[in-house]
Amino acid sequence: MNSSRFRSLAALFGAVVAGTLAFAVPSSVLAQDKPKVIRISYSSAGTGGRPIVGGSTIATAHQQGALEKEFAKDGIKVQWTFNPGAGPATNEQLANGLADFAHHGDLPIIIGRSTGLRTKILFSYTRFGAAYITGPIDSPAKSLEDLKGKRLAVFKGTASQLALGRILKKNGWTERDFKTVSMDGDTLRAAIATKDVDGGFIAPFDLESRGVGKLIYSTGPDPELASQGVFWVSEEFERKYPDIVQRVVTTLIKVAAWGSDEKNREAQYKLWSNSGTSYYEYQKTYLDVPLKWRLSPLLDEYFVENLKKSIVQAKEFRLIRRDVDINGWLAPQYLNTALKELKLEGYWPEFNAAGKPKLAQK
Amino acid sequence: MRILTNIRDTDLRGFVLPLAFLVLWYLVTALQLVNTKLIVPPAAVVAAAWDVVGSGQLLTGLRASLVRDLSGFAAGSGAGILFGLLLGVSRWAERLVGPTFHTLKQISLFAWLPLLSTWLGTGESAKILFIALSAFYPVALNTFEGVRSVTRAQFEVARVLGFGRLQRLFRLVLPAASAQIATGLHLALLYAWLATIGAEYLLGSSAQGVGSVVIRGKATFHVELIVVGMLLIGLVGMGLNRLAALVEGRVLHWRGPAR
Amino acid sequence: MTTATSLSRLAAPAAPLAPAAPPRRHAAVSLLATRAVDVAAGLILPLLLLGLWQYAVDRHWLAEQILPAPALVWDSLVDLWQSGELGTHLAISLTRLAWSLAIGGGAGLLLGVAMGVSAPAKAYLYPSFQLVSQFPVIGWVPLLIVFAGIGEALKISAIAIAVVVPVAVNTYRGIRNIPRALLEVAAVYRFTFGQTVRRLVLPAAAAGIFNGLRQGVMHAWLSLVFVELLASSEGIGYLMVWGRQLLQLDIVVVGMLVIGAVGIVLDRLLAWGEARLQGWQRQAY
Repeated sequence: MNSSRFRSLAALFGAVVAGTLAFAVPSSVLAQDKPKVIRISYSSAGTGGRPIVGGSTIATAHQQGALEKEFAKDGIKVQWTFNPGAGPATNEQLANGLADFAHHGDLPIIIGRSTGLRTKILFSYTRFGAAYITGPIDSPAKSLEDLKGKRLAVFKGTASQLALGRILKKNGWTERDFKTVSMDGDTLRAAIATKDVDGGFIAPFDLESRGVGKLIYSTGPDPELASQGVFWVSEEFERKYPDIVQRVVTTLIKVAAWGSDEKNREAQYKLWSNSGTSYYEYQKTYLDVPLKWRLSPLLDEYFVENLKKSIVQAKEFRLIRRDVDINGWLAPQYLNTALKELKLEGYWPEFNAAGKPKLAQK
Repeated sequence: MRILTNIRDTDLRGFVLPLAFLVLWYLVTALQLVNTKLIVPPAAVVAAAWDVVGSGQLLTGLRASLVRDLSGFAAGSGAGILFGLLLGVSRWAERLVGPTFHTLKQISLFAWLPLLSTWLGTGESAKILFIALSAFYPVALNTFEGVRSVTRAQFEVARVLGFGRLQRLFRLVLPAASAQIATGLHLALLYAWLATIGAEYLLGSSAQGVGSVVIRGKATFHVELIVVGMLLIGLVGMGLNRLAALVEGRVLHWRGPAR
Repeated sequence: MTTATSLSRLAAPAAPLAPAAPPRRHAAVSLLATRAVDVAAGLILPLLLLGLWQYAVDRHWLAEQILPAPALVWDSLVDLWQSGELGTHLAISLTRLAWSLAIGGGAGLLLGVAMGVSAPAKAYLYPSFQLVSQFPVIGWVPLLIVFAGIGEALKISAIAIAVVVPVAVNTYRGIRNIPRALLEVAAVYRFTFGQTVRRLVLPAAAAGIFNGLRQGVMHAWLSLVFVELLASSEGIGYLMVWGRQLLQLDIVVVGMLVIGAVGIVLDRLLAWGEARLQGWQRQAY
């Protein structure tokens, strides 16, 4: 081989090595596996569709910027999507691969799983909330029975519809006994004010204070009837970035602890009222039950049993067509690790299937 | 002088009904004959209009809606012209594609929206695709008819003059069909605006747009906003109609007196 | 050149070979042949699209939750039909359509005749009609919802508005286009006003009126779907909303198919009506 040929071969060899190295180095960086952005879907939006919400730990965390602060050092962006279309819209986003985490009500998440959407439940975010049926200010109805055959509005496909189903079933009725219309929160409030519906599945307090609504029926904090919500991660994201999932959960549990502290009650209401729903309404709806109970993130016996019951009810009310298998759906390990890390074990009381606390309060 | 004669010529009687309506509206609210929360006085509407225009909300919303409208319109009409040409020029294309085209046309426009928005989300792409669809059909149909109306005699002349395929298309078919195409575009412009507003009502409350102004008015109980939004929507609709009629007139004018 | 013409040529050659055969039968056979080819050709694209749909489902181009399989759509269609649900919702939508057509069409006809027949009426009313006709048909809906609520009244009034304008405008134009000569004949026969309207104006303007009706029906169906998607507790539009909320997109597709079917039927009915009208008009001569 003459020298020029040798030189060109060496150059070629050098180029190949350099090229391989060029590919190798970034892939070793990739091996750390960090997403560029964390996409969180929230199954609600503020009044008029504004991107500020209230009524949950996740809402508080959003307004406090907790997750943004946590991931700023990694250069990971946190992208929030607020859905006026509620749970059903979040399901569509998940189906389109546009959501990594989400705040979601029980019915929509059950519907999602029944159609094959793959998620892992990380913790719960609400329980024991009362359900209300509100009517126009001059409604002659004194009870739910008076509304039979009349127009009743509820946001179909959301946890409200399931809760309504439970209430109706308790009284021996079904949706068919009423003229049920599907409306989102804003539309529903407007419809009650203009007397377009005879009753709606919504809290009465704001409407009462404005003189356009009247409470017709309330369940009170009933463990059998109340909805519960979940915070989930998509199976794909969990598989790829389990450490990120842990950090998200730990951050949010910290916020949950802050929010469950009675000292912070007023401050939290203030934050939540930025969503457009009034301070007064949050005050009234969160009155009856200790914050630690309402905002408990635990995946305890009550949560699991309630979820199983909800699945059965959803099938019974013909809201899902296929069965839902709860196996492998919950991922409590993240929650447990977070509780251990934050030394919050035992902070939230565990409830049994009937909704009664298992142990004496701390 | 000209302006004065024009004013005298316009039949003032046409203004009676709208004026009477305004007067009735004012009286009914001033005399509190109705729930003024629902039927807001005209003064409140004017005030709200002033507010909304001032806050820039309206102009940004209007611009967003128009951008959406015109992008969808352009995409849909472009596709419509191509499609109409294809169906018109080729008998076989018409045989193969025609029946499907005419059947799908029967699916009322808004029936497409739930599926489209599920597939594409409630963002811009779903709305623009929907608007394009609304513009597509009128343009395609009218282009098709325009092309088909080219007479045999005109084809003969093209053949005698030795036109190639492309020349025939650009120098005979398109100009001959231009009146029909213009009609189609006029219709499409109206339908596109209709689709824009419809999509905004049904899909977005967080996105920008004139329809969103109306929705926000409904959500926050400001009926004045609803009325202002509606008036604006109507004005734009009329403006677009005028514009389209003008352009159509220009095209017809070029074509000279009717055959 | 094309298979159709060669096919018809295939059908025809029997004539020179068998001179006794009646020529009519061959024309009929060739007509049948071209028809058959047309139908077959028309079916190719739909079948291809169906295949593409199934392929997209198999290959998961879109998540299975939002792209329902053709088989699932068919099953849901059969299910909904057999359970009677589909029939109920369809009946409700069609009833709304019928009422709106009756009210809107009737009002439109009256107004159109008034404008066409009476110059003062035209002067007062027509400009307002022109104004309103340029307004997007669905633009009224939010305001109507505020005033009329979301009950039947809203739906029927919203849809009726969509019908009134095209019917009125086209009726007016149809009447305006009546040749003066005919009106003079009526005067010679000393027709009363009622007779003039009944025996001259309406029949002569029939084509224009029918055109308006056709437009009205299409606008009505358009508005109906919109209003039902926006705010309803029953009807085909509501069925689609229901399907979407429960992530059962197959129901949404079923809704689209039914809406398309109704559109086809309406179109056919109108075409038949138009043909009858033209037939009658030809008979007059």
